[in-house]
Amino acid sequence: MNLEDIRRHLLTIDYRLIKLLDERMELLLKLSRLDADAAKQILPNGLQEARQYAQGLVEADFYRRLYKEILGESKKLLNRNLKLVAFQGEHGAYSEVAARVWDAALVPIPCTEFTEIFEEVEAGIFDYGIVPVENNTGGQVNQVNQLVLGTSLHVVGAVELHIHHCLLVPRGGDYRELHSVYSHTQALEQCRQFLARNRLQPIPYYDTAGAARMIAETTPPSSAAIASKLAAELYNLEIIKENIEDFPHNITRFLIFAREPLQERGTKCSIVFSTEHKAGTLFRVLEVFARRGINLTRIESMPNLRGSFAFFLDFEGDQQDAPVKQALQEVQKLTTDFRMLGCYNEKRAE
Amino acid sequence: MDQLKLAARNGRDKTIIQVKHVRVGEGFVVIAGPCSVESEEQILATALKVKEAGADMLRGGAFKPRTSPYAFQGLGLQGLKLLEKAGRITGLPVVTEVVDPRDVSWVCEFADVLQIGTRNMQNFALLKEVGKTDKPVLLKRGMYSSLREWLYSIEYILNAGNPNVILCERGIRTFETYTRNTLDISAVPAMKELTHLPIIIDPSHATGRASMVGSMSLAAVSAGADGLLVEVHYRPPQALSDKDQQLDPQQFSRMMHKLRRLVHFHQQFSEEKQSQGET
Repeated sequence: MNLEDIRRHLLTIDYRLIKLLDERMELLLKLSRLDADAAKQILPNGLQEARQYAQGLVEADFYRRLYKEILGESKKLLNRNLKLVAFQGEHGAYSEVAARVWDAALVPIPCTEFTEIFEEVEAGIFDYGIVPVENNTGGQVNQVNQLVLGTSLHVVGAVELHIHHCLLVPRGGDYRELHSVYSHTQALEQCRQFLARNRLQPIPYYDTAGAARMIAETTPPSSAAIASKLAAELYNLEIIKENIEDFPHNITRFLIFAREPLQERGTKCSIVFSTEHKAGTLFRVLEVFARRGINLTRIESMPNLRGSFAFFLDFEGDQQDAPVKQALQEVQKLTTDFRMLGCYNEKRAE
Repeated sequence: MDQLKLAARNGRDKTIIQVKHVRVGEGFVVIAGPCSVESEEQILATALKVKEAGADMLRGGAFKPRTSPYAFQGLGLQGLKLLEKAGRITGLPVVTEVVDPRDVSWVCEFADVLQIGTRNMQNFALLKEVGKTDKPVLLKRGMYSSLREWLYSIEYILNAGNPNVILCERGIRTFETYTRNTLDISAVPAMKELTHLPIIIDPSHATGRASMVGSMSLAAVSAGADGLLVEVHYRPPQALSDKDQQLDPQQFSRMMHKLRRLVHFHQQFSEEKQSQGET
């Protein structure tokens, strides 16, 4: 180990300390939603248990002081009454970028699975959940749409996010030595020409931000990740190049779900319904909107669990507007399993 | 020179090279900017000044082939990023030198024109590599090279599949020491006879003296060159490389003013000649 190695290693440890503290705070916030008393109790109990670990160079007294600081900060955090938004993936995922676009005051908390998001928002652990529903090049996110069919949550917002991929390496990494690039298959696919031009080998990884995190934490030789600019900031990675996607118009649409519908007026509505297996039924539904000059922005079909089809329909307008109100009444008569997913505002980010 | 299958004029039409919205080989194209990209402030300030004065493209070195290994070697990747940013903000296409075959694909990600410097004119591995890209190449004449050798270097790039080569005469080594090099202005009409490619003049390296850049630029116009590659720095005395030959923005702006009038004069002159020829 030379001087430079040791210096780098120290920086990595500092980085881990910070990330672990962040993770600890996030867990505590989650715990406080499950059981507020349990969260408060874990503070002093944790001290007792943790002291047993202080048997190395770090003296128990220093550890006690440090721990008190952490507990103090945790208490402050719990008292701040923060609103939590769940997203799928690691910190730095495009879903987190979208969550920040929608409301920068929310605390984004990572979840492993989409189901977890829906379940835990329903259970009251999170205030909001944000999920990708469609991408203009990759198509529908089927798994999410299936979950939307089964949820009782309401759509309270949407974000259209321009996806810009970055090529990321650990600080001081040399682009000349790059050989392998880790990322989610969809991101690798979207940067295929870029990778080919620079003779880089794409290696699929479970998540874009997860790849960035792995690159930062394990620094495999000659390797880079493709992820968001946010991931570069969060994992202190160097951006070799921004906007490496082959086609500039790469947009993902996200929906934000909550337990209660939005109280204020919206500009867009989402509904889901099924129709009888008869010729022309879907056409008659669409006609209802066309007659009133209501602009449809998305129509999507999806097999439901009963072996028939569910249709997702998005359109412009507020549910209190007279034409929309009338249209919805009429559509309910023409369809089965009708549900208003929500009326909300949509944000766009370049 | 019968082996110059692709570079020789041989009755071919003059090649016009499209770099974004700029057409090299048509009118008079001015490429200006600092010798090296030194900082964000330096490249942005200089880019805005040269754009204001009427430059068509921005130059700036990120990889510097310096005589001494201890001299400033350029900012590398960081320099490329800053140059791209300056180009994006000003809308000027950017020209930058590439010195290492391993860098070629990466420089292509950031620059609009790849420059091959005088010292690399016969770096055949590098010529083949840039010949495989789809970016126009600005090929400087080697400071010790004959026109014949230059033509064969061009042939290397064309033969590798890249038809877009811009030539640049930047002075050659002679026994004269007052100027950094001796500008071979006759290379302009000579190369026009010998090839179909556009040729520009670099008066900054040719003279090494800011005071002489203006007159050599006017000479370039009169000799029929297709443009200029000229070094401009927002604060020449503080430049990290070639500070004696870089113009300040005011000098550049004054030079551009004179240049435009001379270009206009020559255009009128050639139009007159054309209409006389028709009658």
